[in-house]
Amino acid sequence: MIMRLDRIGLLAVPGLAFLAVIYALPLVLLLFKSVQGVDGLTLITYIDFFGDEFNQVVLWRTLRVALLTTLLALAIAYPTAFAMARAKGIWLNVFLVALVLPMSLGVIVKAFAWSILFRSNGFLNTSLQSLGITDEPIRMLFTETALIIGAANVFLPFMVLPIYTVVRQLNRNLPEAASSLGATPWFRFTRVTLPLTLPGVVAGSAFTFSLAISMYVIPSLIVGERQQTLSMLIARSFLYLRNEPLGSTISAVLLAIAIFVVLFSSWLAGRLGARK
Amino acid sequence: MQGQASHLPPNEHRYLDVIGVAKSFKGAAIMDQMNFRVAKGELVSLLGPSGCGKTTLLRIIAGLLQADTGDIVLGGRNLSSLPAHKRNISVVFQNYALFPHLTVAENVAFGLRARGTSKADAARPVADALALVRMDAFADRPVSALSGGQQQRVAVARALVVSPDLLLLDEPFSALDRKLRETMQIELKALLRNRGITAIFVTHDQDEAMGVSDRIAVMNKGKIEQFAEPSTLYAQPASPFVMDFVGLSTRLSGRVTEQAGGIATVTTNVGPVRARSGLAAGTPVLLGVRPELITPDPTAEMNQISVQLDDVMTLGSKTVLHGATTDDDNFLCELSGIRTDYKRGQTVTWGWAVDDTLIHAVPA
Ligand SMILES: Nc1ncnc2c1ncn2[C@@H]1O[C@H](COP(=O)(O)OP(=O)(O)OP(=O)(O)O)[C@@H](O)[C@H]1O
Ligand SMILES: [Mg+2]
Repeated sequence: MIMRLDRIGLLAVPGLAFLAVIYALPLVLLLFKSVQGVDGLTLITYIDFFGDEFNQVVLWRTLRVALLTTLLALAIAYPTAFAMARAKGIWLNVFLVALVLPMSLGVIVKAFAWSILFRSNGFLNTSLQSLGITDEPIRMLFTETALIIGAANVFLPFMVLPIYTVVRQLNRNLPEAASSLGATPWFRFTRVTLPLTLPGVVAGSAFTFSLAISMYVIPSLIVGERQQTLSMLIARSFLYLRNEPLGSTISAVLLAIAIFVVLFSSWLAGRLGARK
Repeated sequence: MQGQASHLPPNEHRYLDVIGVAKSFKGAAIMDQMNFRVAKGELVSLLGPSGCGKTTLLRIIAGLLQADTGDIVLGGRNLSSLPAHKRNISVVFQNYALFPHLTVAENVAFGLRARGTSKADAARPVADALALVRMDAFADRPVSALSGGQQQRVAVARALVVSPDLLLLDEPFSALDRKLRETMQIELKALLRNRGITAIFVTHDQDEAMGVSDRIAVMNKGKIEQFAEPSTLYAQPASPFVMDFVGLSTRLSGRVTEQAGGIATVTTNVGPVRARSGLAAGTPVLLGVRPELITPDPTAEMNQISVQLDDVMTLGSKTVLHGATTDDDNFLCELSGIRTDYKRGQTVTWGWAVDDTLIHAVPA
């Protein structure tokens, strides 16, 4: 038995070694820089970071954008996942391709495609004006709204797939049993379908939130320097300011948020699962 | 006890009325012109081979599936346009479909809560329903921790607690092992009788159908071939399909060669066999004899055939003799008790009364 465990354990060694050398080690070194003072350890960079009003604005914006991106992606993904779970044959393939293909397209191509759609003389504005809905072009590009819409679009597959997986496993007889017991569609949804698909929602939200909180390329392309996010601050600290302690500090803050999200969501999933 | 209901005059059979129900999937007709009636308090089985449309019919009655045409009338109320949740018809699914995120008590309470009963008001009926199926000790357990038989009891309690007008059960015993299945059949039948519940069981197991129901509807390819008491189905099957599906029989094919005074003489591969029938000479027929009606010591006026024994099976309470055949015919004789006087390879003469010969015309 012990032999068996050891042998199976061996299978994990390459993966663990890879993670240790490529991920954990540099991260530890990086984080160490954030607490490394002239003489010994210090928290001064953290105090400075949180004391700065500009940083507070960026931190709050990053959290807000990540949260709204997650909610928007969830609102679109949840019904989509049900449609996919119902789809058969060619339609299922259409869904999957529609979901996965854009991922391979890359964010840059998408971002420029959006700018054609959203810019002041772009398709959307000219349409709105010619329909007489607005007189002036509406500013869409370089806004937080555009960022949220763009980010939700890019991260959508990470929300849809975990929910889809759960919905697919849902026993079709359960909602039917609820109906035959007298449950209205709303009662059925809130008491059966929703609770049973919540683990997928939690997983998808955790993915999307983690990706959205640390995104760099999408905000750089859509809103540029005007509205910075934490990731952009990190890049600026390392690349332009050459302020390693500051960059490390922001990285640590970001990491802390990400760890919190992962722990919280697995706790939540565990709680939901424990009721089963 | 069985059969009471079927002796009621036809009008009394009007509790559940299934009228002209038809259903096709993607152009393929699964069910065409389904008509039958069930009386109040009756326990009915839908018996038929896999794929004959039993589940489809059940789902249409429950409102989980829309029929193409036809009506479902229950207690004088036409349900056809009502969604499932307004029909007050409970369903016990084959896989029980218990809500995995709820406890046993919460599962049973579901129907009451859905009808707007408060948690406090639901507690009492839920406890009663659980006691009824002897699951009260498990009230706060998650349903995933239950055995198959326990899950089935919970599913039954959940279905009954709402006092349904009709209970539908889709192969409710098929996931249980044989012994447990028999116990549960007896328990459930008694429970439904005591409460006067009208129920339809779906099954493809004839013993189960015989055991639990007042009447059995034998289904084949989306049609009801015969709807009768178990004893009638067995003694007077209305078609070769029913004869074959309900109970075993000695089976012979042949052609009527003589018709005299309501007795048809049929020429078969093993000689002439007489049956009470008005079928004209020349008609191709299928003959059947229930195995326990065959005697190895025939009298002169009986039909007689000579059979070489292929197999002798001793089953404790009875001994089953199989005769050797070269075609579709089937020779089966059942004797009570253990008989050691018959051996494989031996040639014996079997006989049975002319009136015990089942006869059906078949397409040529
Ligand atoms: N949703 C569906 N789409 C297409 N065909 C279907 C659908 N549901 C059932 N069928 C077909 O209808 C026929 C009857 O199916 P049904 O499930 O009612 O059979 P059944 O008598 O319950 O069989 P079993 O004993 O195997 O459960 C089958 O041929 C099946 O393939
Ligand atoms: Mg079925």
